[in-house]
Amino acid sequence: MSVMADKLAGVWPEITLGLGACVCMALGLAKASSTRKLTSWVAGLFLLLSGVLAIAGPQPTSGLILPPQMVLYVKLAVVAVGVVLLLVAAQLPSSWRATHRAEEGIEPFDPANVMRGEFFAFFLFSLAGVMLTTTANDLVWLFLSLELVSLPTYVMVATSQDRIRAQESAVKYFFLGALAVAVFLYGFTLIYGATGFTDLSRVQSAAATTTSPLLTLGIVLAIVGISFKIAAVPMHFYTADVYQGAATPVTAFLAFVPKTAGFVAIIILLSMLPQWPTHGPIMWLLWIMAALTMTVGNVMGLLQTSVKRTLAYSSIAHSGYLLVGLLAGPALLTSGGGGSGAIGNGIAAVLFYLVAYALSTIGAFAVLGCVQVDGHEADSFDDISGLSTKHPGLAAVMLVCVLSLVGLPPLLGFIGKIYLFGSAMAHRGENPAFVWLVVVAVLNSAVSAVYYLRIIGACYFGKPSGRTEPQHCPSRRIAALVCGIAVVVMGVAGNRLVTLARESSQLAQPSQQTPAKVVSDELPTDIHGG
Amino acid sequence: MSLQLAKLIPWLPALSAVVCGICCIKRPLRKLAAPVCVLSILAGFVITLGIQSHVTGHHEGGAVGQTVTLFEWVHAGSFHVDMAYYLDPLTIVMLFVVTGIGTLVALYASGYMAGDRGYARFFAYVSIFIFAMTTLVLADNLVLLYLGWEGVGLCSYLLIGFYYQKPSAVAAAKKAFIVNRIGDLGFALGIFLTFHHFGQVTYTDIFNAAALYHAHGVEVPWTVQLIPYLLMLGAFGKSAQIPLYVWLPDAMEGPTPVSALIHAATMVTAGVYMIARLTPLFMLSPGALELVAIVGCVTALFAGTIALCQYDIKRIYAYSTISQLGYMFLGVGVLCTSGAVFHLFTHAFFKALLFLTAGSVMHALAGQLDLRKMSGLRRKMPVTCWLMFAGCLALAGFPFTAGFYSKDEILAAVMEKGLTEHSALYITLAVLGLFTAFLTAFYTFRLWFRVFMGPEKYEMGEEHHSDEDSHTTQDAAHGSTSGGIEVAHHHEPHEMPLFPMNLPLVVLAAGALLAGVLGHRWMAHMIGSSSAAVVSQVAEHGEAATETTHHLTLLPGVDLHTSMMIISSVIAVLGIVLAAYYHWLNRPAADRLASQFKGLVTLLANKYYIDEINDAVIVKPLNLLGQVFFAVDQLIVMGLVQFVGFVPRALGLSIQPTQQGKLQGYGLGMAAGAAIIALLVVMAMH
Repeated sequence: MSVMADKLAGVWPEITLGLGACVCMALGLAKASSTRKLTSWVAGLFLLLSGVLAIAGPQPTSGLILPPQMVLYVKLAVVAVGVVLLLVAAQLPSSWRATHRAEEGIEPFDPANVMRGEFFAFFLFSLAGVMLTTTANDLVWLFLSLELVSLPTYVMVATSQDRIRAQESAVKYFFLGALAVAVFLYGFTLIYGATGFTDLSRVQSAAATTTSPLLTLGIVLAIVGISFKIAAVPMHFYTADVYQGAATPVTAFLAFVPKTAGFVAIIILLSMLPQWPTHGPIMWLLWIMAALTMTVGNVMGLLQTSVKRTLAYSSIAHSGYLLVGLLAGPALLTSGGGGSGAIGNGIAAVLFYLVAYALSTIGAFAVLGCVQVDGHEADSFDDISGLSTKHPGLAAVMLVCVLSLVGLPPLLGFIGKIYLFGSAMAHRGENPAFVWLVVVAVLNSAVSAVYYLRIIGACYFGKPSGRTEPQHCPSRRIAALVCGIAVVVMGVAGNRLVTLARESSQLAQPSQQTPAKVVSDELPTDIHGG
Repeated sequence: MSLQLAKLIPWLPALSAVVCGICCIKRPLRKLAAPVCVLSILAGFVITLGIQSHVTGHHEGGAVGQTVTLFEWVHAGSFHVDMAYYLDPLTIVMLFVVTGIGTLVALYASGYMAGDRGYARFFAYVSIFIFAMTTLVLADNLVLLYLGWEGVGLCSYLLIGFYYQKPSAVAAAKKAFIVNRIGDLGFALGIFLTFHHFGQVTYTDIFNAAALYHAHGVEVPWTVQLIPYLLMLGAFGKSAQIPLYVWLPDAMEGPTPVSALIHAATMVTAGVYMIARLTPLFMLSPGALELVAIVGCVTALFAGTIALCQYDIKRIYAYSTISQLGYMFLGVGVLCTSGAVFHLFTHAFFKALLFLTAGSVMHALAGQLDLRKMSGLRRKMPVTCWLMFAGCLALAGFPFTAGFYSKDEILAAVMEKGLTEHSALYITLAVLGLFTAFLTAFYTFRLWFRVFMGPEKYEMGEEHHSDEDSHTTQDAAHGSTSGGIEVAHHHEPHEMPLFPMNLPLVVLAAGALLAGVLGHRWMAHMIGSSSAAVVSQVAEHGEAATETTHHLTLLPGVDLHTSMMIISSVIAVLGIVLAAYYHWLNRPAADRLASQFKGLVTLLANKYYIDEINDAVIVKPLNLLGQVFFAVDQLIVMGLVQFVGFVPRALGLSIQPTQQGKLQGYGLGMAAGAAIIALLVVMAMH
């Protein structure tokens, strides 16, 4: 029982979200349409409540693989970005014809028509999945939480638009997702086979004593399978189709939520190893994945005519950048606190960049979602052509968000990229190949500027098409504005977030438990010195 | 009044610039721009008055300035630059000039610019200019000085090109900017070298380091000796000296108040100020000050001769400005800093006055500036006539006017240096300076007699002094409303209204006539206790020299100074009399004289063909070089760039077939990818 109680102690925010999801489902079926419309507010309320519980509620005491600060950081990031995503998505159900007609009283109420409750319930479930991933200490738990992230998103994609394309992409997403799950589940079984445990801390200690090729293969396959969640090569194929097919708010959701869960899961898996992989097959796997992912993402981004597809490839490319930071790994202990600071810590960089990328890309998607062309959401470059003349505010948000994605100073994306690539450079002493990866990454950033600037070019220098009409979605505009402001302000004054990210990842030493008594003595100086 | 108030001097105009900027956008607020601007500058003047006793009162003879720090600006390693203001008497004098003349000119401009479409924009620019100029003179380090330096350059560019619809104005603005770039490049290199050698860019640190060189008699490394030459280049650019003077005459395309404020009274004197401020640094290199003196004197003579044969009123004054700046450089070159700054001070009064009265004439004649097309305007514009007369007297160096005292102080110092050191060079410079004084008197009064004396006759200019479309607003300068495009009142020259246009001119005229008598002792005291006076303490023959000067003389019975005064008075009067004969009483004689020296006159009228020579020697080859580079760029670089751009696209096209939208294909890709990776890993582990 005490084990159970201990496990429960860490997951109050998740439980809150689960409860919230149930309430949303019930509320979504309420008879009065005015009550049903409260669903998004209730979802937001539960989201905030879970954030409060994450900070002030009982903290998990033991049985965590990740350091508690990192768990907290990710949970809070999920809450914060989740609120923004909720703002983007709040008016989405009203755009579904059946739901809309039912709510306006044109058609009689029928539970099959109204999907407001389901949408926000799935929304919360998926976020709860990300949070659960962070607290995972068992392979089964990890698997289930990852699936909890993904399964709701399949439905969200399918129901997000009244268009056949949404369903088509949902089917693709689901089948390919299932395939990826098979791959990483296979990896999990190999890990279990190699060590005999599903409990991650025991796997960790087993890995420290014996080196088994089976374990390595298991982790490799698990990483390859999870790379579906982060949209990395070779599991990236679905990205463009699904991002384009889903309604823009859901696309924004996909760009942040599964990606975060995927990276957290990979960090957990890598900390199974006795030390961070700076050599050997796993290092090369990540190296090649990073290089291929960003290159494929960027060169394919060049060829697109749809802004949403472009941003989908940009999402792939950014996963590549994030893998660079992941590969660099936690802070060097040898270099001491002072100089290396946040820049030597790849994990901190990844945590920071996940938020930076999320805000930039959600801002861009929110702007797209605010524009309607011929009754459907803006998608192609022509659709946003000349946006600045009619909607200067939206165009300005698009401008700063896209420039942040390019990584232009002084915006948020620039700071993030500095930390990502800087951490790889700081670790070049361990493996000179990191330098070449940074070279590839920087070249890729340059290439990416081409298609990002095309978006800006379309907004500012394109001829207004005249077919665009603004969508009535005030909260989405607010979300766009929030992202735009955050990208600028946090770029200039984002120190706090950097510090948070750094502190949260200080203890992410994979070898913290076994041989590193000396190391853990040094850690406090590292925390304060950096 | 607390010294801390000095911080406000630059920032009030900066605030005013913002307010004027808002006035630009909000049409109804336009009229507010002028009062805001004038008041902000006036506040600076009042503050300067208040704090001057703090700066000059404390120490007798000691040359210690006081520093007021606003905030830390750049602290990187050993490199410290603060936003700090250095206040010593030299600063105070410059502040008086900038804020005092600035207030008067801005007040005049509030009438002059009335009805112009860019009314608020003009005052926004002027406010930025005052901000930059006061920053320049208040700076306590070279970097801040450079900031102000570039700031005034920018404002000069913006204001020369104020009438941006006029191609000639745009060309002139570009010319000014580019020529100044050449000088500023030298200036920047000088600052870099200073930092490289002294490790600091703060004045006090530099002076201390320079004093060490003097005290220990250590040999100064040649790179340190190079610093003054580089800084000098910046000064020559900003203050329009040979060879970088060519931009100033063209700069007269700007509105006339701008010519008065920026291109006569304040900005162009920044070079003189900089050399005066950095005298200890310049003394490290023996040839540097000598070169400054030579360039100054040659420029004075050169520009003076050109002014003789010009017909455009503003251009004559522009060349005269260059010439007078030459005197100032001559002054700092012979270490007569107080004379140079004094001349700067008086020149600011009378040249601002001359430009503004020229502006009044131009205003009255609808843009007419050609001397040949106006005559005998004294009855039409009596006040302007006599105001300009006062300015002309001062410029000509007529006895007991302001220009007389200051110019004389410089020339006497040059002559004194020549006689004490038995240097033929300095005696020559002094003689050339006297000759230039004669030319100055002649061309100044040539202009005045032509415009105001003789038979009354005039031709109106083609352009109206303000944009046509603005005439729907009331033209304050005329006090009459005009309805249509056809504006009747332009057919008759008229006097300017007392306020706000003629009143500031009266103040300036009083300054032009009296500043010399009242100011020369004050100035000697001020400059004597500023950093520029480190000079006199360091100069070894300080005491001895003053002893011997009393024995030097040019005329029997009087000492050197008095004799120089007498000589230059005679020369000034001679110039005026000759001008009166040829350009008032007997104008045909002037034409006969001109036809006798036809070649010389053509040469001077075409300004020695310097612009044409520059064009052929510098501009054309550079243009050609540019075209060559352009061709290389097009053929080679462009191809490379396009190739670089093509590679990622080609890569994308090559993998595009993997994205065909088919589920099976994607599944195959993923499975194959996972399989290949698994295979590779297994192979790697064996």
